[in-house]
Amino acid sequence: MEISTTDIKEKIITSLNLQDTTADQIADDAPLFGAGGLELDSIDALELVVMLEKNYGIVIKDMEEGRPAFQSVNTLAAFVNAKRSV
Amino acid sequence: MSARFPVITGLGIVTAAGCGVDEVWSAITKGTGGLRPLSLFQSPRYGQMLVGEIKHDLVKLGAPLRGSRSDKLGWLAARDAIQSSKINFENTADRAGIVLGCSVGGSYDSEHFLTTLIKRGKMRARPTRFHECHSTVDLIADNFGLFGPSLTLATACSSSALAIATAADLIMAGEADVMLAGGADSLSLMTWGGFNALLLTDAAGCRPFDAMRSGMTLGEGAAMLVIESEASAQKRGAKIIARLAGWGASCDAHHATAPHPEGSGALAAMQAALRRANLNATAIDYINAHGTGTRDNDLAEGKALKKLFGETVPPFSSTKRFFGHALAASGAIEAVICVEALRRQELPPNPGFTTPDAAIGLTPITTLRPATLTHVMSNSFGFGGNNAALIFSKPEITPRTLAPRPSPVVIAGLGVIGPGTTSWREIQPPLPPGKVLVHECGALAEAATLTSNQRRRTGRLIHMALLTARRSHAPDPAQRVAVAIGTGMGCLDTAAQFIENMIAKDEREPMPAHFPNAVHNAIAAQVAIDQGARGLNSAPTCGDISFECALWQGISQLANDEADCVLTGAVDELNKYILAIGQRWETWNEKNRPGEGAMIASLVRAENFATPLARVTAVRLGRWRKPFDAEREADWIVASVDFKSVAIILSGAGGWPELEEKYAAVAAMLASRVGRPLEHQTYKQHCGEFHSASAFGFSVAVELAREKKCAVLLYTLSPHGGKAFCCVQP
Repeated sequence: MEISTTDIKEKIITSLNLQDTTADQIADDAPLFGAGGLELDSIDALELVVMLEKNYGIVIKDMEEGRPAFQSVNTLAAFVNAKRSV
Repeated sequence: MSARFPVITGLGIVTAAGCGVDEVWSAITKGTGGLRPLSLFQSPRYGQMLVGEIKHDLVKLGAPLRGSRSDKLGWLAARDAIQSSKINFENTADRAGIVLGCSVGGSYDSEHFLTTLIKRGKMRARPTRFHECHSTVDLIADNFGLFGPSLTLATACSSSALAIATAADLIMAGEADVMLAGGADSLSLMTWGGFNALLLTDAAGCRPFDAMRSGMTLGEGAAMLVIESEASAQKRGAKIIARLAGWGASCDAHHATAPHPEGSGALAAMQAALRRANLNATAIDYINAHGTGTRDNDLAEGKALKKLFGETVPPFSSTKRFFGHALAASGAIEAVICVEALRRQELPPNPGFTTPDAAIGLTPITTLRPATLTHVMSNSFGFGGNNAALIFSKPEITPRTLAPRPSPVVIAGLGVIGPGTTSWREIQPPLPPGKVLVHECGALAEAATLTSNQRRRTGRLIHMALLTARRSHAPDPAQRVAVAIGTGMGCLDTAAQFIENMIAKDEREPMPAHFPNAVHNAIAAQVAIDQGARGLNSAPTCGDISFECALWQGISQLANDEADCVLTGAVDELNKYILAIGQRWETWNEKNRPGEGAMIASLVRAENFATPLARVTAVRLGRWRKPFDAEREADWIVASVDFKSVAIILSGAGGWPELEEKYAAVAAMLASRVGRPLEHQTYKQHCGEFHSASAFGFSVAVELAREKKCAVLLYTLSPHGGKAFCCVQP
């Protein structure tokens, strides 16, 4: 079954403890890092790595590997679905 | 003044590459390192990583049976340093002390406590006895007879460089003649899991400054230096190995783990060290770089080197691949390497480097080679953007080190979060269930004013520090601000959650965001980020005198004109482990209740502030002798306090009969010395028992001084041997 962007958003909120944010406030294509989106930082990126392992069994050993997937909710969902279909 | 220049007369070192200076240098000469697979503990997930683990049986090397693994490492380095300096502490009276950098303390041993608790549901409290970082200092000081200032600093990977700098400050200020200074850190699940969770490790071993570098290699070890005033060394005819000519500290005030991308804090620390040494950058002949091998550190450090030295960066190397990154011990280990490089007139190489990185644009020393060395620099940078740099010089040179210029210090602002209520706190299984009456600060309504990142990332203890710091001082970009915030137990709750999770899940699903907030200096670092404070950033973890040690360091920054304002204080919070272990050791009783609290004061030079809350006129640190001698204590205090306006002695105590008796005896002795009654008051009945309680006491002293228009002497004894006093005047 496809993992939805809503599902990804909820997992992001829980794993990063984004207390003031709800899933509908996060745009599918907004940048996760840098200005104009959630403005996450390097520690959040590591928490996302753990989130992927915990929820989807995807293991990332090097941040360079995760970088393309961590652009937005859309890229993250596509990455998760691609890995799960392998 | 020249008589007070710090010189080095003894060295001790224990690393994975060898024990003792000669063995370590032999490994450096041969180019062989001490990195091997981990065997100290099981690591289901990361067990294949190379690590700088010390394989010797530490007890067979002579370490005491008692104490944690860090204690044993520190003790061995101290013994060797003392032997090589041929110093006899029977002749130094109370003029010899110790400053140790330590970040994990007895964590390796306490982890056995958690493993037993989680895997077998049993509480074995004994391994936690040596958990606190100051345990190593107490062991060494008691064993070798050091009764001068004794401090432990926990600023992660810069800890022992900062310890060496603080020892030099104490000597220059005339607080001590001889200081044992260095660091000790053992491997632990905590740091092993932490750096791996942050994806900051290179399984094949670190490659500092190399284009292909992909992380650090964790190590362990200890190194100690005997640092004394030139007069002390001359008087006893000691051989001077090298001089400590300059030292400096800074904070990035940027991020919990990542260095400032432009290396601005690293640059500021090196500039501060040059300023103190009164030298130009061109005088530096070699730099022992921090060079951890992580992408970010080496790039930022390279940028800082190029900014400072321009086109002519001196020969430099990172020696971390020889013994791994021994965290809080690494600054001292590399200080020993620098002193040996000077003594042998040789440049140590940078193993692991093969391919230059165009982004860095610098090539380190690749093979050991002879060189003419007069001044060398050592860099140490840590979590929280905590930076320190040291400059060592040949003994023959005439030092130009700047001396401190003490001037009156006043309190410009003060924030305190004290206990609001007493209540019964339940201890939940798997800890042995029970009920303890506690003093609590309660919910922090003001926490709503913190940023969403501060609220989601940091816990209650850091919130307490941020809020008290804000109450004491409004950020001012025009001011140079230093931060020194002590803590007894630090963020123990965060650290324990992190380790528990690792143990319970066999290292799967680690908690990367927890790790940087589990280190003791996370508190001071978060305050620095919030306040934009880029001066010294220190985290003394000295048990019950943590606050006074922070106070001394803060005032020293003002005296050395390294800051316009210092935020100094101490914080501790109550958690289930403190409750349970205290109950197990029968610490808690009707009078002696666990407590918590935070106090941070902003201090400035008197000439710069018209409407202070009060003045701080004397701060002294030391250790009390066993058996306790009230007369000796009174002599010590009377020697540096002007008693004309002192009317109140304020001390801790509350449930510890042995301390209450000591405080009462000293108060009575002081009254008889000054020939009039002195009121003796206590404060722990209000705040409960916790390591930072004397910081709360300081706020009581300020209130009393203002209300009764008299000077108040705040006197603190730690059950572990440390002692301190400070004097607050209206």
